[in-house]
Amino acid sequence: MREKITNPDAIRTWPGKVPVEYVYTVGVASEPFFRALMERGRLLASPCPECGVRYLPPRLFCERCFSRLEASLELEPRGTLEAFTVVHVDLDGNRLDEPQAYGLVRIHGADTALVHRLAASDADEPEVGMEVEAVLLPPAERTGSILDIRHFRPV
Amino acid sequence: MPERVAIVGVGFSDLRSCTPGVSYKEMMFEAATRAYHDAGVDPRKDVHSFVCVSEDFWEGTSIFDEYVPDQLGAALRPVQTITGDGIQALCCAAMLIRTGTARVVVVEGHSKYSDMRTPHHIQQFAMDPILNRPLGAHANLVAGLEMSRYLYESGNTREQCAMVVAKNRHQALLNPLAAYGARITPDDVLAAPPTFFPLGELDAARPADGCFVMVLAAESAVRDMAGQPVWIAGYGWCTDAPSLESREWGEAAYARLAAEQAYRMAGIASPLRDLDFAELDDAFSYKELQHMEALRLCRPGEAGEWVEDGVTRLDGEFPVNPSGGSLGVGHLLEATGLHRVYETVLQLRGEAGPRQVPGARRGLAQSWRHVPTTTGAVIILERE
Ligand SMILES: [Zn+2]
Repeated sequence: MREKITNPDAIRTWPGKVPVEYVYTVGVASEPFFRALMERGRLLASPCPECGVRYLPPRLFCERCFSRLEASLELEPRGTLEAFTVVHVDLDGNRLDEPQAYGLVRIHGADTALVHRLAASDADEPEVGMEVEAVLLPPAERTGSILDIRHFRPV
Repeated sequence: MPERVAIVGVGFSDLRSCTPGVSYKEMMFEAATRAYHDAGVDPRKDVHSFVCVSEDFWEGTSIFDEYVPDQLGAALRPVQTITGDGIQALCCAAMLIRTGTARVVVVEGHSKYSDMRTPHHIQQFAMDPILNRPLGAHANLVAGLEMSRYLYESGNTREQCAMVVAKNRHQALLNPLAAYGARITPDDVLAAPPTFFPLGELDAARPADGCFVMVLAAESAVRDMAGQPVWIAGYGWCTDAPSLESREWGEAAYARLAAEQAYRMAGIASPLRDLDFAELDDAFSYKELQHMEALRLCRPGEAGEWVEDGVTRLDGEFPVNPSGGSLGVGHLLEATGLHRVYETVLQLRGEAGPRQVPGARRGLAQSWRHVPTTTGAVIILERE
């Protein structure tokens, strides 16, 4: 029952990998969000008519009360920093040459928050509760992606 | 009235930071052999159903649930796999028995983490592909953000989190199963290189390989068995909104709701008075404090002081993670909750050796499915 390989030269492994590729459907609720971000540099949100929670990005349904929602709010890309982290490690477990800060940003007028990059600046150590704004790519470079927001920075 | 359910046998395969000497099937066979011996059952004759936990991407095999029967003695039997933590499998097994579907059920969970070449890529693949993955960051940024928000809301400190690490790794020195026992100080933890600030390298549980198998039986079947029964008094599990955008960040709501369900079932009004110890998820240092508060062991914002005052040490008034927790034992993927239950069973049988909690009659085990999930489960066990 407790037999184990005890000679390290006898240990054999077999390598394997699986190529994984997908496309992900953005969906009815998020399509206008990315279009508004790309075309007008604004953020859409969907308020729930039942419980009042304002979702950003918009959703078709409320996760709290199961109501159907519509993206009827258009908000400025500014908000409050709710939390932050500084990442020092990459996806292979190696240390990054330049640590990258990330923030949890609650956009003014919304109840949910976006996770995004936080601009590094020695003068402005991130602080929970601080006011931040999105820095967008120039309109010609936007593709309708969450990366159309380059990062958030302190106001 | 549904029958009471007991855990009548437990078995493990040695927990190690890597296990090149055995395949995952051989680890399962080893743990199962021990568990069946402990319970005094023959899996080919006495067991009616089997419940496993696994996740295809961790295993490197699609439809992995097809690969579990042989090494458990479960071929040509009812077998199912849950993509959840081991405590969720125990809940399922208990329900199979309470509904009269089966009288003896086996639960299995394992980790062969060291076989993975790209675990962090797999973990990042669990994040939202449209909103989060394009950032290209390691998924543990979620833990860094959560710790930032939790410390802000609770008033607990990084120093107190570091004390959790020192306590658990120190307690693990008394646990022969633990892969990461160490005599380190809170200052060592605070001085370690930052990884996902405010988290540092020593704030996160390191992975380990290993397997746990448990035998559960209806009260009417227990008397035919050799093992000393430990009774399941209550259980619960819960998932918060998964999206980073709308989940609860400061409080572990999934743990609070899972515990409320388990407390109700076990008839527990005051967890601190009615329990003797707890095995709580500590995949990251702050998680132990956050989970203590979510489970109402102390008031919100009080957990830090408790660890500072030594209340949760093995010799304190309410020991938390006498096993050494995930920080001391190692993170075991889906088997993590089963390790916590294994320790709880040993404590209630009085078999925990030098780390025995004196007079332990009732204990709680809680699990969290790690980043980026918001899933947790709770089980309460007691001796006669
Ligand atoms: Zn609603």
